[in-house]
Amino acid sequence: MKLFVQRSDVGEFRRRYHFMVLGIVVAFAILSFRLAQLQIAQAQNHRAQARRNIVGRVTLATTRGVIRDSLGRVLAGNRPSYDVYVVPGVIDMKETWPRAVQLMGLGASEARQEKARILSIRAEDGKRKLQQTLLRVDVSRDVVAALETHAADLPGIDVVPTPVRHYPYGQVGAHLLGYMREIDAESLARHETQEYRAGDRLGAVGVERRWESYLRGQRGWQKVVRGQNRRAQRTGLGERYLEEPRRLEPIPGRDVSLTIDIELQSSIQKEMRGHLAGAVVVLDVRTGRLLAALSKPGFEPNVLSGEQGKQAIRDAFQRLSSDPLKPLLDKTTSAVYPPGSTYKPFSALAALSDGLIDPSAEVDCKGGYEFGRRYFRCTGVHRKVNLHEAIVQSCNTYFYALGELIHIDQLAKVGMDFGFGVKTGIGLNPEARGRMPTRAWYARRYKGDGFRGGFTLLASIGQGATTVTVLQLALAYAALANDGTLYQPQVVRSIETSSGTTVQDFPPRVRSIIDVDPGQLALIKDALTGVVVDSEGTAFNEAMEGIDMAGKTGTAQVSHVTPRSVDPKRVWYFNRDHAWFAGYAPARAPEIAIVVLIEHGGGGGKNAAPVAARVVEAWQKLTKRRLATRGNDSTHEAGAHL
Amino acid sequence: MAFTRGRLRAREHFDWPLFLAVVSIAIVGVVNLYSATSPYIDDPRRSGLADMYVQQVYWLVVGGLLGTLAAVVDYRSIERFAYVLYGIGIASLLLVLWLASDIRGSARWIDVGRFAFQPSEFMKLFVILAVARKLSDDPRTEARTLVDLVPAALLFILPAVLVMVQPDFGTSMIYTACALTMLALARLRRSSVVIFIIGLVPVSWGMWHFGLRDYQKGRILSFLDPEADRAGTGWHALQSRTAIGNGGLWGEGFREGTQNQFGFLPDQFSDFPFSVFAEDWGFVGCIALLALYAFICAWAVNIAALAKDRFGAAVAVGVGATFFWHTVFNIGMTVGVLPVVGITLPLFSYGGSSTLTTLVGLGLLMNVSLRR
Repeated sequence: MKLFVQRSDVGEFRRRYHFMVLGIVVAFAILSFRLAQLQIAQAQNHRAQARRNIVGRVTLATTRGVIRDSLGRVLAGNRPSYDVYVVPGVIDMKETWPRAVQLMGLGASEARQEKARILSIRAEDGKRKLQQTLLRVDVSRDVVAALETHAADLPGIDVVPTPVRHYPYGQVGAHLLGYMREIDAESLARHETQEYRAGDRLGAVGVERRWESYLRGQRGWQKVVRGQNRRAQRTGLGERYLEEPRRLEPIPGRDVSLTIDIELQSSIQKEMRGHLAGAVVVLDVRTGRLLAALSKPGFEPNVLSGEQGKQAIRDAFQRLSSDPLKPLLDKTTSAVYPPGSTYKPFSALAALSDGLIDPSAEVDCKGGYEFGRRYFRCTGVHRKVNLHEAIVQSCNTYFYALGELIHIDQLAKVGMDFGFGVKTGIGLNPEARGRMPTRAWYARRYKGDGFRGGFTLLASIGQGATTVTVLQLALAYAALANDGTLYQPQVVRSIETSSGTTVQDFPPRVRSIIDVDPGQLALIKDALTGVVVDSEGTAFNEAMEGIDMAGKTGTAQVSHVTPRSVDPKRVWYFNRDHAWFAGYAPARAPEIAIVVLIEHGGGGGKNAAPVAARVVEAWQKLTKRRLATRGNDSTHEAGAHL
Repeated sequence: MAFTRGRLRAREHFDWPLFLAVVSIAIVGVVNLYSATSPYIDDPRRSGLADMYVQQVYWLVVGGLLGTLAAVVDYRSIERFAYVLYGIGIASLLLVLWLASDIRGSARWIDVGRFAFQPSEFMKLFVILAVARKLSDDPRTEARTLVDLVPAALLFILPAVLVMVQPDFGTSMIYTACALTMLALARLRRSSVVIFIIGLVPVSWGMWHFGLRDYQKGRILSFLDPEADRAGTGWHALQSRTAIGNGGLWGEGFREGTQNQFGFLPDQFSDFPFSVFAEDWGFVGCIALLALYAFICAWAVNIAALAKDRFGAAVAVGVGATFFWHTVFNIGMTVGVLPVVGITLPLFSYGGSSTLTTLVGLGLLMNVSLRR
């Protein structure tokens, strides 16, 4: 058999060919079926995915609103910061890098460090090496110019301008204005719906925070066509894949105009130079608008907002939070202090309105007052004083006697009428309430009947459990000055669009009209004038003659508990009394109220009153100068009409 | 005398259908390559890649000349050198492993002056010739057992292992698929077929555990569950399917397919040119192209059936099988019915060695067709 089988015998193969053709038909039929599935049945889905691949949204940045003072001077604006980025996957480390190092003027060690970082990113196997990595923040104009000139020779090095917040007056008014901080994970989660993103900056404290939603504006976007990577893309193709609308214009943030006069604020800053810590508030008694508010020590908002980079922010916070003088605290509203003698006018009004005292009746001051088993000291021996003299000379004995007559709840009631113990509603920084102690409060505090008459004596000279904020005191003195109107304090006068149209105006808001007898009030105001004018007055100072003001000094004792962080060598400072001056000017027809607090400043008459006087003087000069320029302007106009 | 007779017959028997089908695919392939590489035209750093289609024309011309040579010389004289050529092929595969100039993690290339060629590509032809010679030398009238096929099987197993070591799973698979198709020509006992199929199970288990590298396993796993690894191994497959689907019924138009033009298709000139074509020309274009490929495969079987000896028939089936498996694996991979394995699409993918091999193979097919 085998002999007949030839090499040319193809008979063995014959029967296989049909199967092979069948196999071909089946295989291609499967492929065709699959193609039909992809290209006909699922075509819509795949097309949508293909469009999603190439169409993306680019964010269009918005600009933050500008904050201005009452005369239109910019207090917080924006300026470009030129940041240098490097694309690790693109840059040529042999040629481009040394060149860039030289142009940027990087130090040898820094250059080495950055090089190591770039090389490590290059070694990674990810998207990161084709993304921009931050190299330097806010390089100088010279460096920008050098880099831009050689841009063509520096592939992989990009200069990107980003707007940063800029505060032209630096520390001046820092607590009022606030600063900008990078959003943290927690706030990001909370504000996700409001289009905040990681890396965004938002206002921290002050106006920047309170008016954040107005200032920040709204991002826009633009649809763009983009490839998988920048290189593999045919130019000119793709515009047609963009659906309408293709662009949403960004809306710039609203501008905020403040009631603050930055010049007055600067001069206050200057007058407080000699003191370590304290607070000053100046406000308009006719409107309740803040003209200036200082909290000392302060901080540099430009640094905290990142002007000098992230390390500088960390360093600054490290320093600020460990400082025993608490620079981050807004001492005008967030901190409470015993008001001391500055509270006496209100004690007097409380007693007068209840008819408990006769203003002309005299109390004999022998340097103190015996009450029960305790002896309450006075500041000196004032002999026989009536109400007027007691205020002028700040006699404690007179007020101890008053305190024995009056019910503590009556003291608290009048105090609260003048806005003490209640939040003022300025709504800027976290506001402290202060405390007007009542019988009920003492009952709560000492669990039952711990109340003793001595508490009322202390309360009537503004010590004991009584605490106020600097702003509360200023508003209360404004109410004295304007004969009984308690205003809601205002910092923001109006909101404008970036083109200058006023969107919202904030007229003065009266919180309450205080029920006070005009005759009694006149007695008090007369005494407050005496404090400054009488040679006996605690604020009398020959050097201050010619400054028309009225007010009351205060020297508030501090509890002898010093924070643990304080260096033992400095404890003496923290045990010193707080120096106060609260008043208004001019004495006859008041326009402004002023409160000066010098923390641990010692006697109020000697330390706080002179500062207040010089601030009033500065205010007078500013007002005069402005009236003069306004006068000039009008004569000018008149001339033009002729 | 014999030569003149052959020439005469050649003129009578010139295989126009085969020739035209091959030329059509080659032209469409070059045009498609132009579309595939056009994203690089505007890119100064990679503009060199945009000239790829010109390069491909050069390879087609050279391949055409070599293919003509392969068609003109009587295949019966080639038959005599089948084992010699096979030996040279094995030697060059060993040389590759020896020299191992590493490209993309695998050693496949030998540099000769300006060119680098892939011996594993040419080896496909040598395996076809050797297996055909073996089948031709061993005619039987009664059904064979598996043992009878062992000597022929060794002829493809040896190079398949050598290529696997490089590692080049795709080519190894092509050797196997192609040689098995050829061996299927032989008549087998029913019981042997059953044993063979049962034997596949331990063999695949062994392959999975000892033969495949991790990245190759990853490709297969991500094929089985593409959603599990969207960004990694499954990404290529996903983008390819999106491109093909985006083509729709009529296609996005020549050089308009966004998946390709915006750089979402990886290896669009070597492994995924079909996706580019499918996106540009849609379902209609794809079916036309598939018809051409299917025709060549079926025509090869037809040539085999008409061949006047066993060697010719086996060679025709071998060339047709190579063409068929390349096409099915590549397109199957792009449409997502098979895992991603680097197997080229004949006459469509860019590449010197593979284009030359394909055209010389088709020359051999023509050779058999001329001398039927």
